[in-house]
Amino acid sequence: MRRIYIAVASTVAGLAGVIGLHSPPSSSLLPARAADGSAGPAKARSPAQGSSRPGSAPPLGGSRSPAHTALSGSAQGALERYGYGQLAVKVTVAGSRIISVSVPQIQVADSYSGSIASQVIPMLRSEVLSAQSARINGVSGATYTSEAYDMSLQSALDKLHFK
Amino acid sequence: MTRRAPQAPGFSHGEDVKNPTVRYERASHAESVMGTVASFAIHVDSIGNSEITSAIECACKSLHLADEMFSTWKPNSALSRLRRGEISLLEAPVEILEVIELCKLAREVSQGWFDPWRMPGGFDPTGLVKGWAVERALGKLRKPGICGAMINAGGDLVTFGKPVPGQSWRIGIRDPWNREAIRCVIETTAAVATSGTYERGEILLDPHSGERACQLASATVIGPSLAMADALATALAVAGDPGMKWLAALDGYEAYVIRLDGSEVVTSGLLG
Repeated sequence: MRRIYIAVASTVAGLAGVIGLHSPPSSSLLPARAADGSAGPAKARSPAQGSSRPGSAPPLGGSRSPAHTALSGSAQGALERYGYGQLAVKVTVAGSRIISVSVPQIQVADSYSGSIASQVIPMLRSEVLSAQSARINGVSGATYTSEAYDMSLQSALDKLHFK
Repeated sequence: MTRRAPQAPGFSHGEDVKNPTVRYERASHAESVMGTVASFAIHVDSIGNSEITSAIECACKSLHLADEMFSTWKPNSALSRLRRGEISLLEAPVEILEVIELCKLAREVSQGWFDPWRMPGGFDPTGLVKGWAVERALGKLRKPGICGAMINAGGDLVTFGKPVPGQSWRIGIRDPWNREAIRCVIETTAAVATSGTYERGEILLDPHSGERACQLASATVIGPSLAMADALATALAVAGDPGMKWLAALDGYEAYVIRLDGSEVVTSGLLG
């Protein structure tokens, strides 16, 4: 089991590289975050404790609103304070490898989990939905119904392909 | 259930569907089948438009036939008739026998966490059949002139070849709490299956209790066969952390899971 936990640690470290690369620093938002008492390593706890994370996920398309851009700035600040390194996980074994990993939820206070999740969206949009540099070819996840397909990232990729 | 009208395949370059001499670099198609949508991405070096279209049609037909045969919702499917005892195993289509063999293997390697024989209503291989069907359909696209293809059926996908010469297939793993976010990107040469209950297309049952159970927010299995990866991802989501032990012991298979608290665990092969 020990080996697995070590693996998780490097997974988390990998994320910082991803977020660091893709989101602009926004230190101006940090004081507001700190003032509401939700930020800081001392308050970090498992999101499982009293979290309503599934409900707090931004609605579809929410990433385009300025409010979420602001949130992602504060999330980056939180990451810096946790002291993650700028290290990208990039390893190869048996034809499968993890290239990059996002969102170290376990290290983050409740109030941050939603905002960090939303931070991944602009990264994804810019990476996936730009025709020239579609760097992922498919998206794997729990089975969606045919009705939910239209809201899936795979359908966005398909539309890109249809062009 | 509403059924999406099949769309004509889309082509990425030199679009002139009526001119079969035009060659395309990429073709896409989305087919509504098995209660979800199967997305096709095909990368072409040198094959005529009509040949791609017919290969896609052939693959879609294969998916629909599997759906007709294995649906537990359709009373006249071969599987439903087998479940009701109207046909014996000897009378069952050979495809059902093949799936049964795969189910036995998946049950064994998952130490009983995947067990279609312990589902309410009788033998229910649904957790493996979609992967099996998609893998079979992908076979219809293995043709000279097609350098690589992927079929993604509602989040479980299988690939062959390369998306572009020199590149590997890169698959994003969806964030369980945000349908627009991915958690990580995994390169694969074959199959990636993910189980979880955050979408409505999946119901997970504990084979030991017969009740709904899900210990992980998301369980992804990567490996050579989508039939097995599909079954093992289902088993892993129900088994939770202890399942990582038997999964890590399987040659050629790796797993990436997101726990209910948001933390992530991978088998060591993914980190090297």
